[in-house]
Amino acid sequence: MQAKEFKVKWGMLVDLDKCTGCGACTVACRAENNLPPEADASNKLRTTDWMNIYELSNEKPFPDHEVAYLPRPCMQCGHPSCSTVCPVVATLKDEEGGIVSQVYPRCIGCRYCMAACPYHARYFNWFDPIWPEGMEKVLTPYASARPRGVVEKCTFCHHRFMAAKEQARMNGEDPTQLAEDAYIPACAEICPTGAIKFGDLNNPEHEVSKLAASKYAFRLLEKLGTDPQVYYYSKREWVRKLGDNYLKNAKGGEHV
Amino acid sequence: MGLDRRSFISLVAGGVTGSLFTPVIWKTLDDVSIWTQNWSWIPRLNYGEELKVPALCKLGSDAYGITVKTVAGRPVVAEGNPDHPLSLGGICPLGAASVHLLYSPSRVKNPKLKDGSSFKDITWDEAEELLVGKIKEAGASVAMISGDETGSVTDVLSGLVGKAGSDKSFLMPGESAPAVAALAMLGGDGKVGYDIENANYVLMLGADALGSWGNVARNGKAFSASREKGVKFVYVGPAQNGTSAVADSWIPCLPGTEPVLALGLAAVIADKGRDRSFWPGFAAFAKFVQTSYPLDKVAEITGVPAATIAGLALELMRAGRPLVLTAAVAGQGLGAFELAAGMSLNMLLGQINTVGGVRILPWAPKVVEAAADTKTLLASDLVAYLSAVADGGAEAPALLMVYGANPAYALPNLAKVQAAMDKAGFVVSFSSFMDETAAMADLIMPDSYAFERLDDAYSPYGSGQPNYTVAAAVIKPVFDTRPTGDVLLAVAAKAELDLGFESFEDVVKAKAEALGADFDELVGGAAWISEEFPVQDLALWQTPLQELVAPISDGKSLALAPALQLKIGSAKIAIPPFNTNAIRFNEMLGTDMYVLINAATAKNLGLKKDDVVKLASAGGECKARVRIFEGVMNDTVVAPMGFGHTAWDAFSRGKGDNVYKLLAADTEAQTGLSRFATARVTVTKA
Repeated sequence: MQAKEFKVKWGMLVDLDKCTGCGACTVACRAENNLPPEADASNKLRTTDWMNIYELSNEKPFPDHEVAYLPRPCMQCGHPSCSTVCPVVATLKDEEGGIVSQVYPRCIGCRYCMAACPYHARYFNWFDPIWPEGMEKVLTPYASARPRGVVEKCTFCHHRFMAAKEQARMNGEDPTQLAEDAYIPACAEICPTGAIKFGDLNNPEHEVSKLAASKYAFRLLEKLGTDPQVYYYSKREWVRKLGDNYLKNAKGGEHV
Repeated sequence: MGLDRRSFISLVAGGVTGSLFTPVIWKTLDDVSIWTQNWSWIPRLNYGEELKVPALCKLGSDAYGITVKTVAGRPVVAEGNPDHPLSLGGICPLGAASVHLLYSPSRVKNPKLKDGSSFKDITWDEAEELLVGKIKEAGASVAMISGDETGSVTDVLSGLVGKAGSDKSFLMPGESAPAVAALAMLGGDGKVGYDIENANYVLMLGADALGSWGNVARNGKAFSASREKGVKFVYVGPAQNGTSAVADSWIPCLPGTEPVLALGLAAVIADKGRDRSFWPGFAAFAKFVQTSYPLDKVAEITGVPAATIAGLALELMRAGRPLVLTAAVAGQGLGAFELAAGMSLNMLLGQINTVGGVRILPWAPKVVEAAADTKTLLASDLVAYLSAVADGGAEAPALLMVYGANPAYALPNLAKVQAAMDKAGFVVSFSSFMDETAAMADLIMPDSYAFERLDDAYSPYGSGQPNYTVAAAVIKPVFDTRPTGDVLLAVAAKAELDLGFESFEDVVKAKAEALGADFDELVGGAAWISEEFPVQDLALWQTPLQELVAPISDGKSLALAPALQLKIGSAKIAIPPFNTNAIRFNEMLGTDMYVLINAATAKNLGLKKDDVVKLASAGGECKARVRIFEGVMNDTVVAPMGFGHTAWDAFSRGKGDNVYKLLAADTEAQTGLSRFATARVTVTKA
C-alpha cells in the first residue's frame, strides 16, 4: 500500500544521552491521557503504558558496563504495520501531521495490530479501567476513558495538536504552519532534563528535523522499513547499534 | 410452484447484495461497537474552563514550584513551572503524580481517634479539644517531628512546642543538616546551595543529582543546558543509576567512601596546586590529608585506582569553575565530617561563595518568636533522640506531634524508633495520608493536601540562590481536613500558648514581609529570588581534623548501597497510584523487589537470577530477589528504598521490603548527628 505523504510530519527525538530513566514522562502521560492507575503493575503483559522506559545495557561485565534508558512512545510509523492489518479501520494514518490514529469506539479488540506492531507500542485493555473512589474527578477532558476489550496507544497527545490548531485559527494564523513550541506532547513538555524534543520533521527550521539528520540519530528497527517518526539520539555507538539489534537474547516474555 | 434451488440462491444472494446498499447494516455494526463500550461504570469526561494555577511540590526532599492545570476548577494534571527557578519547566515523577494523590485511597478523610486496634471518626471540635487537653497535661514534656524543612508550618509547630517549654523540635534527617554542620566546620554559617548552572565541571561524589538529590528538576535543566556548553559531569558512586547513565563517566567507588575520595583528591591538589600557604588553616590541612590520605591508601579504601584519582584531581585543577557535590546515594545519612571533606575540596579549588561554586545562603527570617530557628533544628538529631527514648536514656515525651513526616517508616534504627513512638504518651499525626506513623498514632488530625491549602518554601537544600515560594490553595479541601498551620494556631490559642498569629496566612505574610517580598505577587506564582549572599571568612577547618570512619570489609558481608528513585516514592510518600507502571519488570517481580549484585559477587555467594534472598544487617532483615546487574561494584548490593510499606494502600502496601530496617545509625561525636548512609549486610538464600 502506498503511504500517504504529509506536508507536516510531527516527530519526536529522544536524546538518550540526556534521559535518566526517571519515569516522569510515563507518569505525566498517564495523567494527561487518562490511563487508569494499576495497583499491580508487575505483570507487564497486562499493563498499559503508552510511554514505556526500557533499560539498555552494553552487556559488558563490571567495570566496563554501561546503561542507557530508552523511553518508547508510539513510533507513528510512516508505513504503519498496525493500520494495514486492522479489519475495522480503527487505526489510520490519514491526517495531516502524520499521527497514527486510534478510534476506540471502532476497535473490536482483535489485537491484530498488537501482533503487527514491532515496537510493542500498543496495549490491550484486559480489564475495565478503575479509578479509586473520587479519583475520576481528576480525569482530564483530553482522552475518553477506554473500556475493557479495546486497544490503545500513544497519540503524540493529539488533543494538544487540535488545541494548537484551534489557537492558531483564533490568532488568525495558519494552523498548518504551527510554531515549534505551539504543539508539544506532555512527556516532552515536562522532561526534567529536556531529553525529549518535538517538532515538524519536514520543517528544516525545527530542532527535531536538524537533529534527526545528525549522524548520531537513529530509529528503532529501521531495516523493517516502517519509517518511524520517532528518532533517538546518542553519541554512544553501542546504544545506536542496539536500535536494530532486536533478535539478540530475545526470549519469550522478557521483551516487555 | 415450488422454490427451486436456483431461485433460492438468487434470492439469498440478492438479499445480501441489496442489504449492502442500505446503511442499516453499517449503522448497526457501528452501534454495536459503540454500545458494547458504553458502560455506566466507564467514567464520562467533564469539560470546562481550563486554567493553569501555580502550586508547590514538596513530595520529595525538594520544594519547588509547579503548575496545576484545572478544568472548571478541578485540578487535573501537574506540570513544571517554567517561571520557577527550581523547576524551569521540569517536574519530578512524584510531582507528575501529585494531582491524583488528592483522591489517593490513603487519604485520611476526617479526624480519627485510636480505638483499640482501629480508629473511630471524631469531629474537628473533639479533636482540637482533645489536643488542647493533651498539651495542657503534657506541660513541657512535648516533642515534635517535621518532615518539612522549608515551610512555615514547621515554625508554627516548633513555636507551639517551644512555648510549652520544650526544646524537643526535630526535623527528619536529610542532606541539609550535615551540610550546614560541615560549613560550620569551615567557619561558615548559613544554608548550603550549589550554583550548578555556572559550573563548568561537576563532580558528583555520591550525589544522585539527576535522580533524587537536591533540586532535581532544576539540576536536570542545568545539566541539559550545560551539555551544549561542553561541561563535564562525573558521577562517583557504588552503582550505576539514572545520573551515571548520562554522566560523562562513572567512577565506581565503594558505598560511603566518597568522602575519603574527596580527601584523597584534596591531598593531590594541595600538593600540586597553586600556592595556598597564606590561607588560614591550609598548612595543617595539607599536612593532614597528605599524611592520612596518600593515594594508595585512598585507592584501597575507596576501590578507585590511584591513577584515576590522580587524573580526577588534574581535571578538577584544570577546570575553571569546578564544583564538587558530596552526598550519600540514598540522599541522607552522611556525617558532617564526610560532607566537610567534600566542602574542603570545594574550598581548595576556590569554589565557595563564588559563581559556579558552593553558595552560602542566609537563614530564613524568624517570624514565630517561640520557634526553634532552622539552624537549631538542623543541629538537633532526631534519630539519636528517639534511640535514647527507646533505650531509656531520655524521657519519653508525654505528647509527640508529627507533621509532614513518616518516622515510623523512614528512619534508621527503625525498631528503636517504633519503640520510642510506642513509649510516647500520646502521638498526634497531622498526615494527609494513612502512613505508617498515622497508623500507629493515637490521634490523626489530617492536614489538607498540598493543593488544598496555603504553603510556603524558603530555599530548599541545594538552591543556587535564596528563594521563597508561596502557593495558595488550588481547590477547597475535598474531604473533612484542615490546614495544619491553622489548626495549630487555633489549638495554641485555646491552650493559652500565644504564638502571636491569628492565622497561618499571617505567618506567611510576615515571612514575606521580613524577606522584602510581596505576598500577592508570591501567591500569583512569582517566586522571590535574591542575589544577596552573606560574605564570610572561611578557613580550612576550624575543628580538629580527624580521619573519617571507613567501612571495614570482613570478607563475608557485602556493602549495602541504598538507592533512591523518586518514582518509587520518598521518605514522605509511598508509591503514588500512577507510579506503579513506572516500576520496571526488572525492579519488581510480583510483590518482591529486586536487589542488584554483579555476576562475580553472585558467583561468590552461589546466587543466580531471581533467587529469593535475605539481606541481614545489625539493624534488621529484608527479603528480596536477586537481579544480576553489571553496573554494581564487586561485593556490593544495591537495594531500592521506598518499598515495604505496611500502611497506605493497595498501590504500595506489601510490595517489596523496607531497606530502612537494615540501616543502623551511629552518632558523630563532635556534631551529635547520626550517620547511617550505608551498612554491611549478609546476603543468603531465603
